[in-house]
Amino acid sequence: MSTDRSVLLDAAHVTMRFGGLTAVDDVSLQIHHGEIVGLIGPNGAGKTTFFNCLTGLYKPTSGAVTLNGEPLPPQPRLVVKAGVARTFQNIRLFHDMTALENVMVGTYCRTKTNAIDAIFRLPRHRQEEKVSTELCKGWLDFVGLADKANTLARNLPYGDQRRLEIARALATKPSLLLLDEPTAGMNPNETRQAEDLIFRIRDLGLAILVIEHDMRFIFSLCDRVLCLVQGAVLIDGTGDEVQHDPRVIEAYLGSPAEDGPPGMAEAAEVPNA
Amino acid sequence: MNENLLRPVAIAGAGLGIASIFLPWAYGPRILDDMTYYFGPSFLQVCYALLAVVALACLVAHFFLDRMSWFARVIAWNDAAKAASLGAVGYAIAVIIAIAVGGGGLINVEPGGWLALGGGALAAVSWFLPASKAPIFERLRCPKWVQILAIAAVMAVLLFAAAFALNQSEADGFLVFAVFLGAAIFTFHATGFFGWLSLAAANNRKVLVISAFTVAFAFPFTQNGSDANMSVAAQVLTFAATAIGLNIVVGLVGLLDLGYIAFLGAGAFTAAVMSKSVFATLSVDLPFPVVALISGTVAALFGLLIGTPTLRVSGDYLAIVTLAFGEIFRITMINLDGTDGPNITHGSNGVPSIPNLDFFGFDFGQSHEIFGIQIGRFSNYYWLLLLVIGLIILVFANLNHSRIGRGWVAIREDEMAAESMGVNTFGLKLLAFAGGAFLAGVAGSVKAYTDTSVSPDQYVFLESAFLLAAVVLGGMGTIMGVLIGATLLKLLPEKLRYFEDYRLLLFGALMVVMMRFRPEGIIADERRQLEFHDTDEELAEEVEEDLTTHHAHLNADKELP
Amino acid sequence: MDPTLFFEQVVNGLSLGSLYALIAVGYTVVYGIIQLINFAHGEIFMMGAFGALTVYLVLGSPTDLSIPMALCVLLPAMILGGMVLAAGTALIMERFAYRPLRGAPRLAPLISAIGVSVFLQEFMRLFYGRIPGFPDSKRGIAFPRIEGITGNNIDIGSVSIKMSSIFTIAALLICTAALWYYINRTKTGRAMVATSQDPDIARLMGIDVDAVIMRAFVVGAALAAIAGVAHGMYIGNIDFKMGFMAGLKAFTAAVLGGIGNINGALVGGLVLGMVEAFAAQLGPTAWKDVWAFVILILVLVFRPQGLVGAKVVNRA
Repeated sequence: MSTDRSVLLDAAHVTMRFGGLTAVDDVSLQIHHGEIVGLIGPNGAGKTTFFNCLTGLYKPTSGAVTLNGEPLPPQPRLVVKAGVARTFQNIRLFHDMTALENVMVGTYCRTKTNAIDAIFRLPRHRQEEKVSTELCKGWLDFVGLADKANTLARNLPYGDQRRLEIARALATKPSLLLLDEPTAGMNPNETRQAEDLIFRIRDLGLAILVIEHDMRFIFSLCDRVLCLVQGAVLIDGTGDEVQHDPRVIEAYLGSPAEDGPPGMAEAAEVPNA
Repeated sequence: MNENLLRPVAIAGAGLGIASIFLPWAYGPRILDDMTYYFGPSFLQVCYALLAVVALACLVAHFFLDRMSWFARVIAWNDAAKAASLGAVGYAIAVIIAIAVGGGGLINVEPGGWLALGGGALAAVSWFLPASKAPIFERLRCPKWVQILAIAAVMAVLLFAAAFALNQSEADGFLVFAVFLGAAIFTFHATGFFGWLSLAAANNRKVLVISAFTVAFAFPFTQNGSDANMSVAAQVLTFAATAIGLNIVVGLVGLLDLGYIAFLGAGAFTAAVMSKSVFATLSVDLPFPVVALISGTVAALFGLLIGTPTLRVSGDYLAIVTLAFGEIFRITMINLDGTDGPNITHGSNGVPSIPNLDFFGFDFGQSHEIFGIQIGRFSNYYWLLLLVIGLIILVFANLNHSRIGRGWVAIREDEMAAESMGVNTFGLKLLAFAGGAFLAGVAGSVKAYTDTSVSPDQYVFLESAFLLAAVVLGGMGTIMGVLIGATLLKLLPEKLRYFEDYRLLLFGALMVVMMRFRPEGIIADERRQLEFHDTDEELAEEVEEDLTTHHAHLNADKELP
Repeated sequence: MDPTLFFEQVVNGLSLGSLYALIAVGYTVVYGIIQLINFAHGEIFMMGAFGALTVYLVLGSPTDLSIPMALCVLLPAMILGGMVLAAGTALIMERFAYRPLRGAPRLAPLISAIGVSVFLQEFMRLFYGRIPGFPDSKRGIAFPRIEGITGNNIDIGSVSIKMSSIFTIAALLICTAALWYYINRTKTGRAMVATSQDPDIARLMGIDVDAVIMRAFVVGAALAAIAGVAHGMYIGNIDFKMGFMAGLKAFTAAVLGGIGNINGALVGGLVLGMVEAFAAQLGPTAWKDVWAFVILILVLVFRPQGLVGAKVVNRA
């Protein structure tokens, strides 16, 4: 449905090696505006490493990533500024800050108040503070945490922490949102809510790349699914295509005994960076 | 033991304690503040009576509480009684020790003193009374004027206590009074009053700030022209100002700077070298505000110099590199003496006899008379320092509650996550580091003039460690905490000369103990309190709900046999 | 530079470097296992020197011993005394100041370590001299004279080498060999390596991690104690604050070699010693203490993993 739209992110032949170990092997991926792309693969397939290549945390050994035709800047914070925001597999909130403050950290790269403005409470500070507070309250409302604005992040329940992380990422005004296992540890009800939330984010016009192990979640959500095995692309297609591809099932469950030893997926593991 | 028996015993004890102040406690008028009169209690005896009265009131309150069940939960009556009576015992012991030490033996303790101890001990059986339920005092909603009045009252008490403590020229009077303050704080804490107060303070921030500064400003007037105490007060202010600057770096950003004193030194040396002292090598005639700015800038440049390379590597290294920088600074200041390097600082002698500041004809070295009270040289500098600390607090507080402060705390909590959210971590760390250095430099320029001399041995590692201790003891990331920490660390050694030799030993042990048992310091970071104050309305409702259910419970209890 | 002077400086550099290396091992093994900069390690070195002095005083300050007696009985006894005091201090410190803080924010143990460092210095300053018959510890104390080492020189051609230098360098060689054997050939040593690589897995494999950490502290303390004795003989006196500067420089050595890496500590120590010796010879003496710190800063800027260390990947 979305292939006719223009390309937002273009990762071409991305390879990432750590010493002799190839964690990501010649992966190419195009993400279009307003598209939800799933990234699946067994543990250690290099999903998170690939993520890190897209967020500027790692510089790919070879290959190039461009965003709107511009090469991806070399530092994570510049990547955020360019319009790519992320969440973490293991939630990384600022625990001793309130929910609202957490989200407001997200607006850092979109605001310009400097130390002098802040110390003397100059108009720019007041103006920006007012605007970003409203904005961030709006994001909290969007993810359903409006009434928790003044709760410390550490005191939020698990599901709320996940949603707060998404709100924080949204506050950076991204055009592409990367979600690293957004439903890990959630019950079915919470997962459904997360699904709904991701659709609503897409409806805002954002493109989303999501890593997930929950297949039902992935296939109901994604326009397109990319399956990585041993760092390389196994298949890139629509949910239906991927779901019925025997190689995907094999990668996850291992092939029948005559084809190879069981537990091949485990053997394929590379240290998850 | 049975509560019905305990309570009367405790009440009797408290009563005896109160009575004891009408008897002499000590033999000989020179001991403490003359406790030799019948029916003429001295101030320190009245302090004891205050504790005993509170204990008595809290114990007696029990008999009236059934009818006023709401009142029963406002204050933790039993807990407060326990705290007050224990405090009274501790205080009586402190007084008796002071009398024995001061007069030469326990023989100098008159019956009144023993009665105070005995009464307190009897009252302390209240320890076996059942514990109170958590008091709802701190959730009490009061009209704004009550809150403001309470803040003002607390500030006035603070001023009075500080003045009284400073005026104790003998260590024993100071210590006994300190024990009283400790006991009083303990008691008030037990009532839940401080919780309420901090909430009131959070809701009336402006009132708090204004009243605190008024009190601080008024302080020299309580000193009857004694410049000795003002000298101590000026030292405390310098130390506190520097510590708050350090608290930006350590408390907000989480960077451990062990060479912070070097920035104070850089500012002090810059100001000294530029002063009109005959030993100054670069005497220039500039107005002081310009000198202060230059001093701050020089310190900030040092900060950039040291921060740019090291802030990219892991935090652990920063501690050692800043420590090394502190050493380089000290050695360099010693070596810029004309033989091992160009003569800038006069080596280990430093720059002595720096003349007093002169602001448009106002000579800081002169005494003045205001309202008939002599205001001496150190009071002048005290007020200047008050201005500086005000500036530093402004910087700290306003930056903390801004985009930049949020970035700093984010870095402290999880640097990588902060970077991944678009925060310019390196830039912000450098800003904190150089900005902190700037503030220390400004404080240093005032210190140079206050002390009239600057020498390298004032800026050694131990001073950096002391600054860090003030931050850690008071509470990382807070202003109030650091003010308290700095005051304690600077005032106690000044008043307790006897302990001076042990002060570093105690300080070392204190650091270890604090990290083990209360790493957040005396006053915890206000971010943790934020959860309260914005949701005042909700809390009030919740409390009301609580009370109705509690009421129902009480009634239900009564219906039981 | 004339060759005699050159060789003298090489020997000076080697002995200074050996001292740094011996102390640096303590920083590096502890850091390797619990990622703690044991700020108080310099004070452990100081305790080692005082422990040795204590043994000497307890033995009744023997003078006029024959050289074999001095070298084979007195010196080993003193070294042992230093090791016992240093290791004991290190164990108490680990138990009460560091162990409760494992898992706390990183600032906490570092601040605690500073507290320990100040406490130990002050404790020795205030109380050591109060033991009857012990010298006033508020000032420098002359280190006991060991016959055969103190004041003796060996002349090779025109180069005159102090026996204390030879002792220091020999101590480093022996300790290096012993350390190598311990780490590579004993079960407990290998447990230490395993723990430093992954404490959680090591625990799952049945390694008592607490015991390993304690052993790391003891190993570091023992080597620091030897350094303390060597320092006493080399310089001639000891005092309560000798650990501060020595500790700082040894830490620099550890960082220079690559902290967490034992070989790095040895290399870093020797390089730092050499640099200091030649800087003191070629440059003004008043600045000699500055070079170590300049090197520290330069290393952190250009090669934070140290001379020997490998680059660490930043993990997400």
